[in-house]
Amino acid sequence: MLHLKSVVAATAAFFLSLALGAPVAEAQQPKHGGTLRFVMKYEPPTLSALNNTSTPTTSAKIWDGLVTYDPDLKPLPMLATSWSVSPDGLQYTFNLREGVTFHDGKPFTSADVAFSIMRLKAGHPRGRGTFANVTEVKAPDAKTAVVVLSKPSPYMMVALGPSESPIVPKHVFENFDVATPPGPPQHIGTGPFVLKEWVRGSHAVLERNANYWDKPRPYLDRVIVRFMPDAAARAAAFEAGDLDLGGSAPVPLSDMERYKSHPRLAVDTRSFAYTGAQHQIFFNLDTPILKEKKVREAIAHALDLQAIVDTVFYGYAKVSPSPISVALTTWYDPAVQPRKFDVNIANKLLDEAGHPRAANGMRFPLRLLYNPFIDARLAEFVRQSLRRVGIDATTQNLEFGAYVKGVYTDRSFDLTIESLTNVFDPTVGVQRGYWSKNFRIGLPFSNSAHYENPEVDRLLEAAAVEIDAAKRKQLFSQFQRIVHADAPSVDLISPLEVIIANKKIRNYARGAEGLGDNFADVHFVD
Amino acid sequence: MTTAIEIAPQPEVSGRALRAFLRNPAAMLASGFLVFVTAVAFAAPLIYPEDPLSMVARPFLWPGQNPQFPLGSDSLGRDVAAGLVWGSRISLIIGIAAMALGVSIGVVIGATAGYFGGRIDDGLVRLVEIFQTTPSFLMLIVLVAIAEPRVESITVGIALVTWPTIARLVRAEFRSLREKDFVTAARGLGYGHLRIIFIEILPNALPPIIVTSSVIVASAILMESALSFMGLGDPNRISWGSMIGANRETLRTTWYLTAVPGVAIVLTVLALNMIGDALNDALNPRLSAER
Repeated sequence: MLHLKSVVAATAAFFLSLALGAPVAEAQQPKHGGTLRFVMKYEPPTLSALNNTSTPTTSAKIWDGLVTYDPDLKPLPMLATSWSVSPDGLQYTFNLREGVTFHDGKPFTSADVAFSIMRLKAGHPRGRGTFANVTEVKAPDAKTAVVVLSKPSPYMMVALGPSESPIVPKHVFENFDVATPPGPPQHIGTGPFVLKEWVRGSHAVLERNANYWDKPRPYLDRVIVRFMPDAAARAAAFEAGDLDLGGSAPVPLSDMERYKSHPRLAVDTRSFAYTGAQHQIFFNLDTPILKEKKVREAIAHALDLQAIVDTVFYGYAKVSPSPISVALTTWYDPAVQPRKFDVNIANKLLDEAGHPRAANGMRFPLRLLYNPFIDARLAEFVRQSLRRVGIDATTQNLEFGAYVKGVYTDRSFDLTIESLTNVFDPTVGVQRGYWSKNFRIGLPFSNSAHYENPEVDRLLEAAAVEIDAAKRKQLFSQFQRIVHADAPSVDLISPLEVIIANKKIRNYARGAEGLGDNFADVHFVD
Repeated sequence: MTTAIEIAPQPEVSGRALRAFLRNPAAMLASGFLVFVTAVAFAAPLIYPEDPLSMVARPFLWPGQNPQFPLGSDSLGRDVAAGLVWGSRISLIIGIAAMALGVSIGVVIGATAGYFGGRIDDGLVRLVEIFQTTPSFLMLIVLVAIAEPRVESITVGIALVTWPTIARLVRAEFRSLREKDFVTAARGLGYGHLRIIFIEILPNALPPIIVTSSVIVASAILMESALSFMGLGDPNRISWGSMIGANRETLRTTWYLTAVPGVAIVLTVLALNMIGDALNDALNPRLSAER
């Protein structure tokens, strides 16, 4: 009897110590284990971001970048432990981490860095621009890589995150086609998770990389990435407790209010500098009636941007009136403010431009297209706002391929609502829409307005090679003011990222890359 | 001319059938409802002169919350009552126009096949089979997606997927009627094919066509709603289906936005089906006696 009692007492004491010790231990050391169920809206052709811009979130789990970023885009060490830039901005030297191996056991060296950057320059949709000035990447020794540029590229240092520029093993990709989406056999990186299984049309399983260089990370045992294109299905899965995490508003915004008071789920509405989300209207300046600035200004005055935020986006957006998104806090110029919403001003401008209302109340017709990845309600809002001032706008529902062809090849539109995201830097994300040399028939997401202003071209070209950050900011400020005054576009809003997350997970979006975080630090708490 | 009418038996759409229809309370109720919907559709510009798509109210008003908007407002602040009234126009226009077009094509092809028989029949039956073996709604989606989604293209699309039903029906009627005495007599009198088809046989084949037509109007309204629900409707015109499609995201919180147009579709389609049943009973007294 006595014996049994002591056992019970000892057991109780043991569990008591565990219970008391747990909070202390948690503060010091996140606990290992657990499976994170992450949802993506669409299944990509590959999980890699090597030659694909639709997969930043999955790519960052499998492949590391040279650096990663804090929320303000300050670079933090990743595969590079330190770096330096030559005073002329033409040479970047990266000192690489020791003792890193790829998932197949082969060591990571400067040859892989050199190969990856040249491959990104050749095959990545944005990398062609980002690394356009890279002439070569030297590898003086196994742990040093030197990127040599023909012209300064001040945006390059913010383009080296794992979600944008993955560092891939040369020995795997050397004989692999530049343009083909990498398949499962090529999913070998240095990242915290290893691709275990990919069931097409359903899910991918990423297992913990036990040899990850950032010990004791990663904390999770595995990440299951589920592909669910239907919003209602995602909402049901979150409700049923089958999902832990999803980004880009995984459930309808109209439903978000319910999730805010959910016992198990939290709504996270930050905006991340790496995406620079922006929705804007581009005018087709080849349409005679839109050549008149008064008409374009009238259209801007007819749009209530705050109402767009409040009704179309249910408050999950910010008014973003400048060609550079407010999400890019470094570069957005707060002096650029929206044109005042006033139907009377709009009517007056249209009258002055010589477009009186006809008997049916309409002045002239315009064709309004919109990128189908944007909520159709935004197009309806714009259409009705224009009809209120007598512009007979009609919308067309087009699927993505037909839309891209209609705007960028056939140019059969007068207004288009686009979401030309600014990514992490205006030279990479904004210049394409306003630079006259980027008016190229057939090139998607180029200068759809056919906007031509030599001064704007000069500013953009100067900013692209300016290594002094303050001067560069100055150039971009001037650019924003001129474009806003010229009004080749009406910049509308910047949608918030809107993440839904299980309340028990931590550190899923530590830096500027948002859910393009590598998830090494993600862990569950009790 | 008058001799021909004496040869052909009087079509069964007679005073007796009309009386049978009028005595059916369900049919009268359904007809009354359809007359009401039609009147509303005609009066829409008078009741709501403004564009039903314009944003006029605070978003998400509940029905009755503001007397100015008796059925509430949707996520963009559009008046649901105005949408309902204007939506009835699209539903009825597409339903009736698609039926008229589909029945015309079906009658011409079915009558030709049934009357002439032989190789013409074989060829036309193959054509009907090609259309009938393709899932009709999928074909409609493809047709509308290829043409720009507008009221006209949707109407033509629906007609193109509904005519085979009518064609088969008409062909069967013509095959059984073409050997009847009055047709033989008409041939004996030297009447041309066109006259025999349209003046002698067709009136006698009408009862099943009329019954099916009312059902086709109902299914055309449903098809338009389904297309609009999927976002393949005319985006610049409001319809009951597009109202449901646009508001299904908020089904959990503001269910009335989908319920109101949904009830309108259910009642209209139900009314058309009830009328179809009543017509069937009135025009086929033997069939209904057997039941």
